[in-house]
Amino acid sequence: MRKLVWRNLLRNKRRTIFTVASVTIAVLLLCVLMAVLATFEPAATAASENRLVVRHAVSLQFDLPEAYWRRLKTLDHVEAVTPLTWFGGIYKDQRPENFFPQFGADPVTLLDVFTDIQIGEDELAAWSAERRAFLAGRSLAEKYGWEIGDEIFLRGEIYPVDLNLTLRGIYTHADDESQERQLFFHRAYVEEALGNPGSVGTYWLRVDVIDNIPAVIETAEAMFENSQARVKAETEQAFALSFTEMIGNVKLLFGAIGLAVVVSVFFITANTMAMAMRERSTEMAVLKTLGFRRGRVLGLVTAESAAIGLLGGVAGVALAAVVLRSVANALAGVFPLFRVLALSPDVAAIGVGVALVLGLLSGALPGWVMARRPVVDGLRRLG
Amino acid sequence: MSDPVVRIEGVGKVYGGDRLRVEVLSGIDLEVREGEFVALMGPSGSGKTTLLNLIAAIDRPTAGRVLVAGQDTSALGEGDLAPWRHRHIGYIFQLYNLIPVLTAYENVELPLTLSRLKTADRRAKVETALGVVDLLDRQDHFPRELSGGQLQRVAIARAIVTDPTVLLADEPTGDLDAESAERVLRLIERLNTEFEKTIILVTHDPRAAEHAHRVLHLEKGKLWSDPEG
Repeated sequence: MRKLVWRNLLRNKRRTIFTVASVTIAVLLLCVLMAVLATFEPAATAASENRLVVRHAVSLQFDLPEAYWRRLKTLDHVEAVTPLTWFGGIYKDQRPENFFPQFGADPVTLLDVFTDIQIGEDELAAWSAERRAFLAGRSLAEKYGWEIGDEIFLRGEIYPVDLNLTLRGIYTHADDESQERQLFFHRAYVEEALGNPGSVGTYWLRVDVIDNIPAVIETAEAMFENSQARVKAETEQAFALSFTEMIGNVKLLFGAIGLAVVVSVFFITANTMAMAMRERSTEMAVLKTLGFRRGRVLGLVTAESAAIGLLGGVAGVALAAVVLRSVANALAGVFPLFRVLALSPDVAAIGVGVALVLGLLSGALPGWVMARRPVVDGLRRLG
Repeated sequence: MSDPVVRIEGVGKVYGGDRLRVEVLSGIDLEVREGEFVALMGPSGSGKTTLLNLIAAIDRPTAGRVLVAGQDTSALGEGDLAPWRHRHIGYIFQLYNLIPVLTAYENVELPLTLSRLKTADRRAKVETALGVVDLLDRQDHFPRELSGGQLQRVAIARAIVTDPTVLLADEPTGDLDAESAERVLRLIERLNTEFEKTIILVTHDPRAAEHAHRVLHLEKGKLWSDPEG
């Protein structure tokens, strides 16, 4: 029976190729959409309730003046302020698996704000004392097998400087293991290399009690209302949610596109199978005359359409892996988020699964019709 | 000659509904005994193929009943009919109806794939059937690579490979030249004489009917025996 299914698949090669190609494109699109959505997921982090983020009012892509640091510290109810600047450098190569967040930080104030970071005093002191030193999260250090004293090289992408860093401390995070997949180095190191432009990506504030947060936000935004670089202040949770809210809409859009493509391809495949079955209606009648049960006839048809789905699914997933890798390499410099763009096993499995189900369903209807059709109708001839 | 293998009792067949009603067969009675070779003749549209289809249980009568090997086929559901056909019916079509994507060997093997035979046993049966029709040397050929006469002989091999109770041949020479037709008819006759197969041959060709023991005529839905048959 496998032989018959396979030969039938090859009977009209052009039609089979086009049908497989349509499934391939649908699965490719589906996998790419899901993979892109997956890159946004880490935005939901374990946010602290009394931490605020102050950033440029227009966009995160614009830095804030270093002078704001001192002024933010003067706000009532603000206990600590620390700057963080996204560096976005390349470690080893541009493969997504070698991407991780890297921040220029201030060793003196970092832990005043990020109290959930846990590190030994000796290691903290060693990091603080050396301009080229860096702190790595435990997960990140374990991933690359880094040990204290190891040196790494980060090639600048956003900033035109390369960094030679020495590991002086490994930290853990109290609640969230994902927070251990990043590193902190001295922001002053980059500042000096850039000629001290005095810029900071974001400021992070620790507020004394949650109830005072609205007042601090209002005051902070008002403080720079008439400045050249106006700011937007928000809680850490709101900061994370600003990504996920955007993603919510994107998810809906992506989901609608993916569904439309899959449904369209379903109809294309079902139509192709229906045409193929109409051409073979006499053969199906002959098979039933020979003793093939309805279920077996249905099985032959659905096996054929499932094979089309499977071939298209595997090809689509393979193509998606290539496309995602290319997109990640091409866009990582512009959108650092895309560095992690890759085809996960889950997405690949969903892609193949959808293609297989699509194939099965598109063959089921014509197969059912063919299986139930009276034999004499298929033989067409009455004496 | 022994017990009837095919018994048809008062069979009628009507196509269409109340508005367009076509009565193809009416009150047909027939008995075909084991090992008998019966030719069924009649003009086009006389209901020959319909009667053959009723015996093969690929169509159902609107009146009467058809018994093959003692089984009233009307009593079988769709699920039981397929294996029943596999066991009892060998059908030879006018236009061969081979599966074009399968070789001669694979076409003959097709009905055996429904059984639980081992590959070696299947091969033995297929080669025996192809040997009977003298096409062992063409077993790897696809239908498009065979002549009309060879195609019909492959179709005959497919019909006999399961050793069915009855062989039904529907105008098996209708699409063949005289020489190929004669060879096919001799082969069908040999299946009856040498292998004692019960055969019902539908034809409108008197020369084809000469090979049969008994000739029946079907016209305007009625059946009668050839007085010389």
